[in-house]
Amino acid sequence: MTSNIDNEKQPEITSAEVSSSRRNFVFGSIAAAGVTIAPGVMLYQTANARSLSDFSLKEAASAKVRWGMLVDTTKQVDWNKCVEACNKEHGLNNETHSRDDQKTQYIRVVDVKNKGTGHSMSLPVMCQHCESAPCVDVCPTGASMKRADGIVLVDRHRCIGCRYCMMACPYKARSFVHEVLSDQTENTPRGKGCVESCNMCVNRIDNGLEPACVEASNEAIVFGDLNDPESKIAKMLKEFGGKQIRADLKLNPSVYYKGI
Amino acid sequence: MRLHLNLLSFAIVSLVLLSSMSSVMASQDSLGPKITIQPSSGEKCILPPEEMRRQHPDLLKHDRIATLREGVRAKADGGKLDGSLKQCVNCHAIKDDSNKYVRIDNDQHFCVSCHKYAAVSIDCFQCHRDIPEGSGDFHALSNHKGVNYNAVVPGTYNLTVQDMANIVPEGYSDDK
Repeated sequence: MTSNIDNEKQPEITSAEVSSSRRNFVFGSIAAAGVTIAPGVMLYQTANARSLSDFSLKEAASAKVRWGMLVDTTKQVDWNKCVEACNKEHGLNNETHSRDDQKTQYIRVVDVKNKGTGHSMSLPVMCQHCESAPCVDVCPTGASMKRADGIVLVDRHRCIGCRYCMMACPYKARSFVHEVLSDQTENTPRGKGCVESCNMCVNRIDNGLEPACVEASNEAIVFGDLNDPESKIAKMLKEFGGKQIRADLKLNPSVYYKGI
Repeated sequence: MRLHLNLLSFAIVSLVLLSSMSSVMASQDSLGPKITIQPSSGEKCILPPEEMRRQHPDLLKHDRIATLREGVRAKADGGKLDGSLKQCVNCHAIKDDSNKYVRIDNDQHFCVSCHKYAAVSIDCFQCHRDIPEGSGDFHALSNHKGVNYNAVVPGTYNLTVQDMANIVPEGYSDDK
């Protein structure tokens, strides 16, 4: 084994040389995508809602879809339950040296009170997954990115931890990891020196599941495809309306709130 | 005479050096120190071992772009194996004598054993999990479908190392 590594000339790995099984893997994915896209299109034409299970693992995130959430703040829900589900899914809150205000939060529970009327309520505020996201605009390395289906997330392979995106975000949605971490969950790799935020549980969405907070919310958060007029979220938005936080910034977030 | 003395001392020194070298050579194999690569639990990797040894960095780099940036989470090689670092770890995790998975700081760790030998540092596990999730058997860890969060009860959740090691995918409940 040693002689192999040291003495032999290292063959240059070009795309042509990457072995046949890799090639099959790539072409196999393309073929499968074609098959699965077709029923999706048909469903759309016959005016049936596309569901999460229509999306294949092998399919790349599609620009036809725009994932969004509608948070019903009029429902009496303990939003901390959503925070706990989020923490569990992503393995958050495992910092040992950071101050509380340094610890990563994907969802913040914000309490607001109208002093005039005395009405108070609380709402969960996470990454709003803006259509024109300021964090993506300012990122110097392309780490802060928007997936084709509208999910804004950080590519930690490229993040240099400059924290420009934290400055740019009007929702205070991003956190920075200040210390060496261990025992991450296998679906959410995270570590020191990277910025991170809610990624709408991409790993769950790609596997046909709803985000953790949606599942834990007793249906107070509705998740779905904003581009599909037959989806539950689109119908609810059409019927009841929904507000985006700081809509005046014209960032067009994917997260809507009902009752604020 | 002086030249003779010099030559003699040179001969003696070189003899001593040679003999010490030969004793080193005798104690090791002629190819230098060897590493032992622990067998993995999986039946078959996506490529034969010799190709994996050379190509795994390129394969991982390809997949990380496809997965994260494009959202393709295809199964490699006929749909059995995940082309992800998670899959690498799940198959190649090594257990120590006390039947616990060895972490990345242990020289027995599959990746570390070879990387330390080749003096190539790896950053992957600063963020990625270095051992499989859960404490059970290799492949029964997760159905890759995630945790069910309908059963999360407020106020009962405190994340500990033990907790992270025992995440049970199916029918998970906080209230026992």
